[in-house]
Amino acid sequence: MSTSNGRPPAWSYWVVLPSFVLVWGLVAWWLKSPLLPTPMNVLDTLIRESASGELWHHLGATLGRVIVAFVLAMLLGTAIGIVMGRSKTTNALFDPMLVLLLNLPALVTIILMYVWFGLVEVAAVMAVVINKVPNVAVTVREGARSLDYRLEEMATVYDFTRWQRFRDVWVPQLFPYLMAATRGGLALIWKIVLVVELLGRSDGIGFQLHLAFQVFDVASILAYSVAFIAVVQLIELVILQPLDRRSSRWRQPEAAHA
Amino acid sequence: MLELQIAGRSFGQPVLGEVFATIERGDRICLLGPSGIGKTTLLNAIAGLDKTIPTEAIIGREKLRVGYLFQEHRLLPWRTLNANLRLVGASEREAESLLGEVGLAGYGHYLPDQLSLGMARRAALARCLAVKPDLLLLDEPFASLDPVMAGELKTLIARILDAKPEMAMICVTHDGGDAEILANRLWYLDGKPARLQWDDRVGGEPGLIDGLLGKLRRLDLAGS
Repeated sequence: MSTSNGRPPAWSYWVVLPSFVLVWGLVAWWLKSPLLPTPMNVLDTLIRESASGELWHHLGATLGRVIVAFVLAMLLGTAIGIVMGRSKTTNALFDPMLVLLLNLPALVTIILMYVWFGLVEVAAVMAVVINKVPNVAVTVREGARSLDYRLEEMATVYDFTRWQRFRDVWVPQLFPYLMAATRGGLALIWKIVLVVELLGRSDGIGFQLHLAFQVFDVASILAYSVAFIAVVQLIELVILQPLDRRSSRWRQPEAAHA
Repeated sequence: MLELQIAGRSFGQPVLGEVFATIERGDRICLLGPSGIGKTTLLNAIAGLDKTIPTEAIIGREKLRVGYLFQEHRLLPWRTLNANLRLVGASEREAESLLGEVGLAGYGHYLPDQLSLGMARRAALARCLAVKPDLLLLDEPFASLDPVMAGELKTLIARILDAKPEMAMICVTHDGGDAEILANRLWYLDGKPARLQWDDRVGGEPGLIDGLLGKLRRLDLAGS
């Protein structure tokens, strides 16, 4: 099933998912239940919500929270991960805390934040950040542990500044780990954001899902979910994949003098 | 210029014993000795990479600019040669001219892994020179090169040393022939823990170093 250059043929991406939608459509058409709308129903709802502006309002609110929480979690998690990966003592000090936070259910953090700080935006974003930071830290710590000591020695001999060491020696080595944290993070964060919105916000997709759930409006639930999945997919295609390609170009340089 | 007062270094068991020596400007030292005796350990200590050796043990190092040619090129594989040289302080123009000096003119935009072993080592040598070193440390610079490439690199290093008479060099090698071309002073490291068994100036007489090495190596056999 693969062509000579090792890549699968282009059509192979367009088999399983369209078949799934087709099966869904057939089952929905046969059942004729309001609890399982057809793909066309969902599309109609999507277009209606989008035309009224509701979709964009709530999508924007959710996306804003995802971006803020994501940036904060990545910055904090990367810093913690590097420090813990580089210093065995720091790692020993904070590792039990990290394990505790890793296993703390998202729901517990969210409820506690709302109880302690009220149903405010800061509490909502904080809850998401606290959930995500341990995952980023653990991933980046793995990378920081495997930093090449030979390049460290080189940077020491040649008196690299802290910033040079970070930007030119560490980040390129940590890049695969940062990408893994980013991909996992994006998917995890937007799911947690929805729960946060469902429990204590008056806008965002989570809030809309809450309303739809109360009247069993399955078409709306699916329409809003599909809309956000599309956004995340767009981020992957437009930002992450080009970044990936650009930053790993050095890994397969065209051999000039093999 | 540099004074060594190393009390010793152990990795579980003692590797380096006491090492006392003084390095002057223009010294071209070849450091010889059996494999695994601790030559690289000593070089790392002099470079300040060994954190277990107090800075007071290497007197004068703080003021020196050191260029270290590691056994592997240790260029940043994700940066071009130019960028690698600029990172240690060379300007764009200096980087180009240094690459020219080591026979890599026009290769500035290449990544290190696009080069052959010998070329990468010369690029790393250019980086050593980019810091305008007072002390050049070379760790087996001719290892795993074919004889032709090793010969070219030897000539290149000799030329660089001649052009910079103020610069000192310590070169770890196995081969007395290298010392004959490069050295004006010989260190022989041996023993358990290893000490400098020989530290003296050498002249240009051919065959002298090989004869000396022969004696030193037999001494080692007799002692063990």
